[in-house]
Amino acid sequence: RLICTTTARQRKNVGASGPEKYTEAFIKNQIEEFNLGKRHLANMMGEDPETFTQEDIDKAIAYLFPSGLFDKKARPMMKHPTEIFPEQRKIQWGEDGRPFHFLFYTGKQSYYSLMHETYEKLLNAQKYQDQLIAQDLPPQKKKRNLAGSRWLTKIELEEMLLEKLSDNDYSRFILLLEKLMTLPCGDTEEKYVQKFSKEVPVQLQKVVIEPLKYDERGVAFSTGEGGRKTARATAVVYDNGTGKITVNGIDILHYFPVLQDREQLLFPFQFLDRVGKHDMVCTVSGGGRSAQAGAIRLASAKALRSFVTEKEVEFMRQAGLLTPDPRVKERKKPGQEGARRKFTWKKR
Amino acid sequence: MLRSLKGLLCRPLKLDRGFALHTAAKDRVSSLLTQDVQTAPERPRAVFYTNENDPANHAEQHEGRLYSIPLDELKTVFPHGLPYRFQQQIKTFNEACVMVRKPALELFTYLRNTNFAHPAVRYVIYGERGTGKTMTLCHLVHYCARQGWLVLHVPDAHLWVKNCRELLQSSYNKERLDQPLQASSWLKNFKTSNERFLKEIKTQKQYMWGRRDRTEAGRPLAEVVEQGLARVRNASDAVGVVLKELKQQSRLGPFRLLVAVDGVNALWGRTTLKKEDKSPVAPEELTLVHNLRKMLMNDWSGGAAVTTLSQTGALFKPSSAYLPQELLGKEGFDALDPFVPIPVPNYSPREFESCYQYYLQRKWLQHEKAHTEAGKEELRFLSGSNPRQLDRLAGPL
Repeated sequence: RLICTTTARQRKNVGASGPEKYTEAFIKNQIEEFNLGKRHLANMMGEDPETFTQEDIDKAIAYLFPSGLFDKKARPMMKHPTEIFPEQRKIQWGEDGRPFHFLFYTGKQSYYSLMHETYEKLLNAQKYQDQLIAQDLPPQKKKRNLAGSRWLTKIELEEMLLEKLSDNDYSRFILLLEKLMTLPCGDTEEKYVQKFSKEVPVQLQKVVIEPLKYDERGVAFSTGEGGRKTARATAVVYDNGTGKITVNGIDILHYFPVLQDREQLLFPFQFLDRVGKHDMVCTVSGGGRSAQAGAIRLASAKALRSFVTEKEVEFMRQAGLLTPDPRVKERKKPGQEGARRKFTWKKR
Repeated sequence: MLRSLKGLLCRPLKLDRGFALHTAAKDRVSSLLTQDVQTAPERPRAVFYTNENDPANHAEQHEGRLYSIPLDELKTVFPHGLPYRFQQQIKTFNEACVMVRKPALELFTYLRNTNFAHPAVRYVIYGERGTGKTMTLCHLVHYCARQGWLVLHVPDAHLWVKNCRELLQSSYNKERLDQPLQASSWLKNFKTSNERFLKEIKTQKQYMWGRRDRTEAGRPLAEVVEQGLARVRNASDAVGVVLKELKQQSRLGPFRLLVAVDGVNALWGRTTLKKEDKSPVAPEELTLVHNLRKMLMNDWSGGAAVTTLSQTGALFKPSSAYLPQELLGKEGFDALDPFVPIPVPNYSPREFESCYQYYLQRKWLQHEKAHTEAGKEELRFLSGSNPRQLDRLAGPL
């Protein structure tokens, strides 16, 4: 048994330096056990062990061990050991105590080796550029789509290197990468740089605005759904109307005797200056008075998108008509009377 | 200018009740112009007013417009009976403008075409809350008063079945209970509205009030009323006597009788009154209610009975009930059957316009956005074209 321990990271997301030491043999054991367990599970569920994927495992575990816990990470799970046991740096010195890597004594060996490699690529690229200039060829300008990609974040880089970094180190590395980017790179450099960049998904998921539908009378209509707290509502907005609104078969004057609720319903129409022009039929259930009003408001705003230009849709979005309200009732905590209210404090 | 025309202006009868008075709504152009030319040259009449102050002449073209009742006439015709909010509005605007609406016009045609030899027809005005039933009734009362009918106006029958402090055992009939306060107040108002009739109509029987007082046959009814007012204990009996006499004499007499009862569903519902031994009082046990019920039977002729259903004061009835069947209950429905139902709807677009313009013109809507088209649409949406809601909304603006 070796005297010195593995220089495992203290960070949560990289290596746990807990009482367990994830030696290689240990991890190999775990992998074997996992595979066996996978086959057993497949047999239990009556599936074919050969074609039992991770998704099937997840479903099976959720079925066999149902859990109502909110935190997904707290629920029972069965995954491949490489996902569960965080990566740890292997022991970096041999039996004689001599480190393997030449940069070990810098303290941040992977970081500095990375910097060296990157700089080497940079020098290669410059040499290549010089060669091109010497051959009187125009330098190739490659347009890289910077908009759709981003560099790795500091944490991601740390995970990749299994080493702690400081902010300065990280920024230096990124600067180096960007400098490399400006030069016309060859293919190998391209692949190298791509290791450190990530695709950014398209920011706004293009919400598809449904086209207008026409019912049997020939009147255009569109539907929308909305919710607020526990209330869920569906609204059907018809064109060429007089401003009549029916909720669950009842006129709004009777369903919402309070002015505030009716004002909420009025808001989307008033915003688009279409107060008396549309008829609406809604169904709503759940929640209380205000929640139902808010739900119908959201549903009608969503339905009105089909009648309206894109610019106005953008205005509606900025006015907050299309955003579902995320506020829900806060959980009551034990030891307190309510979510925030504490019990009456008695001095003695 | 305004003052001189005030007399010509129609009194805005409680617009929040959408009084179906003959107030012309915003009838652009034509008919108003013709009237304008005839009568009011000084003031540029707004489109939604009409000069026809006599309800008798109100016709289709006046529908949706407002006409005003002169304030002194108001005191005689309506000593009681106008809704409270409307009275406040009269005080604020210094005029009483009532809107002409279709249900009232309908009633007028019916009344004009009644055959007074037949038993009295009963009309029941019903509708949702705040649509203008009481105002329709008041309009009708004004019409009949102008025509010279004897109007028996019970402003709210619900007042007789709830919140009564004093209940006396009736001397006339041991089972029944008297309500001296309500009876005397009603007699007072009845006197102010029908003074001249009371002098003309003579009693046909002799009535004994207690052991000492009595009224001979052939004395004017005014004496009976005086008796009721003087001796409060006998007020309810006085009311009963008045009703009986009028019923008998309307057939032969030179006058027409209009029985206008607001909130008639109170007569057949339950009461909140309790006897001294905490047992509930049934409506039949109240003298006033008993006599009024007899009045509403269709066994007399020479007039008509117009009643309104009202959920607002109704006891033990859900707030969504407004149909005659629901509010009257089986007993009431059978008692009033057959009747002519008259529904009163919310404001039509024209009437809404007229009401809105009236408020604008009277400078009641002070908010700057209220003057815009968008503001009008907003008001229309939020009030749902319900007269009462509109009035309540316009209040703080």
